[in-house]
Parts: sequence; C-alpha cells; structure tokens
Amino acid sequence: MKKHLYLIISLAILAVLLVPSLTRAEEKKDSSTILESHLTFSYVCTSNDSVNLTANLYIKKESDPYGLMNATVGFFCKEENAMIPLGTAVTDQDGNAVLNVVISKLRPGKDGMITYVSRFDGTPKYTSVSESFTAEPAKLRITFNVQDSIRYLNVTGTRKDAKGQEVALTKETVLLYVPRLFSLLKIGEVALDEEGKASFEFPNDIVGDTLGNLKIIAKIEENDKYGFVQGTSNINWGVPKQYYKAEVPSRELWTPIAPLWMIITLVIMLAGVWAHYMYAVWELFMIKMDSKKDKPTL
Amino acid sequence: MENNEKQLLKEFAPQIERTSVQGYVWILFLLSVIGLGVYAFIQQVTKGHIVTGMRDNVVWGIYIVNFIFFMGVSYAGALISGTLHLFKTAWRKPVIRMAEFITIISLLIGPCYILLCIGRLDKLHYLVLHGRIQSPITWDVIAISTDIFGCFIFLYLAVLRDLANMRDFEELQLPKWRKKLYKALALGYTGTEEQKKRLERATNIMATMVIAIAIIVYSVLAWIFSVTLQPGWHSTIFGPYFVIAAVYSGSAVLIVAMWFFRKVYHLEQYITKKHFVAVGLIMLVLAAFFGYFTFSDYLTKWYGSEKNDELLIQLLFKEFYWPFIISNYVGVLLPLLVVGIAKLRTITNITLAAVVVIIALWLNRYLIVIPTLQSPYLPIQDSRPEWSIYQSTWVEWSLTAAGIAMFCLLFTLASKFIPIVNVAGNTQESNPDDVLV
Repeated sequence: MKKHLYLIISLAILAVLLVPSLTRAEEKKDSSTILESHLTFSYVCTSNDSVNLTANLYIKKESDPYGLMNATVGFFCKEENAMIPLGTAVTDQDGNAVLNVVISKLRPGKDGMITYVSRFDGTPKYTSVSESFTAEPAKLRITFNVQDSIRYLNVTGTRKDAKGQEVALTKETVLLYVPRLFSLLKIGEVALDEEGKASFEFPNDIVGDTLGNLKIIAKIEENDKYGFVQGTSNINWGVPKQYYKAEVPSRELWTPIAPLWMIITLVIMLAGVWAHYMYAVWELFMIKMDSKKDKPTL
Repeated sequence: MENNEKQLLKEFAPQIERTSVQGYVWILFLLSVIGLGVYAFIQQVTKGHIVTGMRDNVVWGIYIVNFIFFMGVSYAGALISGTLHLFKTAWRKPVIRMAEFITIISLLIGPCYILLCIGRLDKLHYLVLHGRIQSPITWDVIAISTDIFGCFIFLYLAVLRDLANMRDFEELQLPKWRKKLYKALALGYTGTEEQKKRLERATNIMATMVIAIAIIVYSVLAWIFSVTLQPGWHSTIFGPYFVIAAVYSGSAVLIVAMWFFRKVYHLEQYITKKHFVAVGLIMLVLAAFFGYFTFSDYLTKWYGSEKNDELLIQLLFKEFYWPFIISNYVGVLLPLLVVGIAKLRTITNITLAAVVVIIALWLNRYLIVIPTLQSPYLPIQDSRPEWSIYQSTWVEWSLTAAGIAMFCLLFTLASKFIPIVNVAGNTQESNPDDVLV
C-alpha cells in the first residue's frame, strides 16, 4: 500500500508540474458582457468608374484585434442630411465587408466631395459602430507607347468637377507598382503635370509570366482630397519567366527525377529487405508443405 | 508437445479461456476512453483542426509527438526482441513475447496519429500517386510500411510454435472457431526436425532484419526533422539520438508491461526480479547513452551561439522549464540511481523509474517538436501572435488517451489469444529470487 501511495504521489507531482505548461487554459467566458465593436473604413477609386468600399469590423481581446465574421455592414452615401443606402455586405473570416459602387450613381456635394458611411447595427453581443470617409472621385488611366525603341508608361489623372465634367488631376504624386508573389513591387514614382499627365521610362528587367505579361498598378495613396485612387493595366513588356529546369537531378522536390544515388540506394535496400521477407515467407510455406508429408511428432 | 510446455499451457489456460469480472471492467474502461477519443475525432472532422492547438506557425502538436513516441516504442520492441533472440539470451523467454507485442501494437497505433494530424485526408492517396523519392516524407511512408510487414512476419514466426501448442492442447476449453483459427494459423507445424530448422532459419533472418529495419526506419523519422534547417532539428546526431531514445523508451514500456502482466496474470514464477533487473540494466545503459546524446546536442547548440539556437535554448529554460528538467535530468538520472544502486533495485522501484522514463521520453519528443516551431526563422504573413504559441486542447488529449487505451486494449486482447509468456521451450524458474548481478 505504501508503495502504491509513493507511486500515486510521484505521478501527481509530475502532473501538477506538467499540465499547466502543456495544456490550453480554459478561457473564462462571460456571456453577459457586450463587447465593443470597432470599424476601419477604407476606399479605393478604380479606373472603371467605380469605388471599392471596404469596412473591417473587429473586436479587441487583450489589445489584439479579432475580425468579426458573418456580420452585415451597411454602406451609405451622405447627401446633406439624408443617408442614401448603397448596399450591404457580409464580413468574411477576417471581418472585411466589401462593396463595389458605380460612381455615376453617386451625387457629389457642391464642393465635388462625396461622404461615404459604413455602419454595423450591432447585436445583443456586440455594440453598433459606424465610420465615414469623404473624398472626391478621381481616376487614373494607364497607357503605353514606344518611342525610339524606348518603352514609356503614361499615366493620366482625371477628376470630376461640380458639374460632373472630367477635368485634369494636377500636381499629384502617382506611385507605380507591379504585383509580385507576396506584395507589390514599386517600380517608380511620377508627378502629374498641369494636363494631368506623366510619363515614365519602363524598365527592361522586370520578370513577367511565361509570355512576359505584366500587370501595372498606378496609385495615389492616402491623399487628403482624393483618398486612394488606383488604375491598372496589362502589358507584355516583362521578361518571360523561365521555369527552373535542373540539368542534373537533385534533392529539390520539383525536379522531375530523384538523384541516381538515391534511387540506387533505395532499390538496393528495398530489394534486400523484401528478398529476406520473401525467404521467410517461403520457409513458412515449406513448413506447411512439410506437414503434409511428415507424421506429427510434436 | 513437451511435458513442461503442457504444464505451462495448463497454467495459462484460465487467462485464455475466461475473462474475469475485473477483466471486463478493465476492457469497458478502455472502450470508454476510446469512445471519448472517437467523440473528439468527430469534433475534429466536423469542425476542422481549429479544435486542436495547431495553427499556421505551430503546425505539429502532440499528434506528431505521439506518433514519434509510439513508433519509438515499436522499434524498441523490435530491437530488444530481435537482439534477445539472436544472442539467445538465457532469460529472454518470459519477456520476449511482450516485446514482440509492443512492436506490433505500437506500430499499428503510431501511424494513426499522422492521419489525425493531416488536414486533408481526402488527398492522402496523393502521397502514393504523386510521391517524390526526394522527399523524406516518402522515405518514411516506404520505411514504415516495410517495417509493418517485417514485424508481422517476425511476430508470426515467433508465435508459430505456441499456435501449434494451442492447437494440440485438447484440454483447452475454447469455441470451435478459435480452435479452427489456431489450426489454420499453425500451418501444420508439428515440430519435425526439418520444420524446426526452417523455423529457426527464418526467425534468425527476420530477427536480423527487424533490428536493421528498426534502426533505419527510426533514423528516417529523425531525418524528417534534421534535414530541415530549423533550430533544434538541424543536427547530424539526430538519427542515432532518435534510435537511442526509442530503445530507451521501449525498454521502459517493456518493464511496465512486465509489471502489469505479472500482477494481473500472477506470473511471479516466470517473470522474476531477475528479469526486471536484466531489462532494468538495459534501461540503465540506454539512460547513460541518452543523457550523453542529449548533453552533446544541447552543448554544441549553446556553445555555437547561433541566434536561433540561442532563442530556442532560452525558450526551453524559461517557458518549458519543468518539462525540460523532467525530460533531460530526472528522466536520465532516476534510472541511473535506481538500477545502479543495488539496494534500490527492487521490482517496484525499477517499474516506477520506468514510468518516469516513459513520461520523460514523451516530453523529450514534445520538446523536440513544439519549441522549434514556436521559434521560426520567418514570421508568416498575416499571422496572429497567438498562433505562434502552441497549447494543446482537450480534443488532442482525448485522442492521446484513446491511443494509449487502444494500446492497452490490443495488448489485453492479444494476451487472451496467445500466452503472454513464450510457452514453447520455456521452463519455470528454478530460483525466482536469483538475480543477475
């Protein structure tokens, strides 16, 4: 009995020492608390006369943000004292609700500005929250031309005046990007002139797809008046991508065949092992055969 | 059948013919634990791996720890039984069957944890269809499947004579289907000189093969880790280190199994202190080797002072302080003291040391897998900070418990099918208190 007690106490001490460091502590849940919702609202004016409205809805736990999934966010356009509904969107797993709105449907104010509002009405568990953003619609167009064998990327910026007419967007800085695998690669920066135009000598060493196709993005970022404006276009001015083709098979998983030494080693080992297995099974088979001709003498 | 074998079978007959009330309670308890595991598994399948502690950064958790642990125990069983057989060790007969059972049962349970860890089981067949020989994962799949076949053949050869004994022992009160099963499995073995020679030849060959395969397969498992450049894994001694750790944990499991079956089936006459001391001495030697490898591995990492190795060692001595101490200090020193000092060398003490060794070696695998994944070279994009910390959940612990329960259940059922101690060629101990050293 004493020995068993000794064993139990020892194991209990081990468990007390180990359990806290290996297991997930049960979170204390208080269902009666209403959690405060937070909303960040962003907007991008695109080159196809539309705006992308993105609302990110989240709550905070110990200062870390957690996106709220499956929540309905309403988008509105503010006209004087009236709120004109633009549509609703449901948040994804990161808490993002995205709505695309055609600019022609929106009525700018006298100063040409439009106020966008996103609103989450709340639930019994989460508080309601809303955010707004004011910007003047603008547009960036990208065109390409070749002059004396030099490739040029041209950017034209326009905005709509109070009468709804397109006029040049002047003296704004435009950043030029090419999307890469994980992020955007900045290839240049230009300033729009009095006519809303800028030109950029296109680099010759940017790798595209196998046909040399590239996607070019022109952006005005975090502008006080225009917010985020973006224009995109495709061109086959990239260096065609050459897929790596190993001359000698190596350890990389994408090589078509394993190194010869590896194949030979594997074959020898497997053949050696399975040959012995076969021999053992053969002996078992012969034991069975022997039983048919021998008298039992066990 | 020799008279002493008949006598032995008579003694083992009750455990094979009947199951006591305590036996049924034990089986029911094990089934309940397995049932809990099934419930946890359903939760995991329906809700996804979000119910586990595994996230984008720490993609391997205690499922992989259990996989390595069970595979290690299995290889240890193969190594111990193969070595004891080849060297014709005098005291092997009462314990060799248990070592063989440990091999097979662990080998059946271990790979199940890989299946639990995989998120897309529906694409599992891609491993075969699109497997690349260059991939260590493919090496492991080939090695484990080869090992399973080899161990089954070895076990079958080892139990063949006892299957024939069971077939020929008419006093055994068993249902007809079981008698027929013994007859079919015995392959008509009657113990003729020719059959004995064939059986001996095949068993010797397979004993050699299981030793070689056990070393290769567990080394392959170690290479899955060591061929990466991850801190804590990229080590040239990982292969032999894993093999030593495996045999060490297996010797401890064997001691616990010996203690358990000795108590339950009253095998005090056959499994004596001599056997505990003998396996305990194996455990002692392995403890010294394990301690040496562990020290060597961490010393070179610490002295080298590479940035990520330093971070890992800091993590081990701070966040994982107690698991690290128990795994690498208590788990090494306790068996050295208990088995090394003659006065402490009792059956209970050796068994207790073995239990601590099992826990220590499980923690050793935990410390190999988790802290390394918690200190990655590159942060993952859009990853939440809490995803870089692993904390296991009840689902994982339930499935871990279910695996252990399944191990015990299969062991129990196997002991109901064939005597847990080798009957063929075995004799009763003339002096149960005879001690090796």
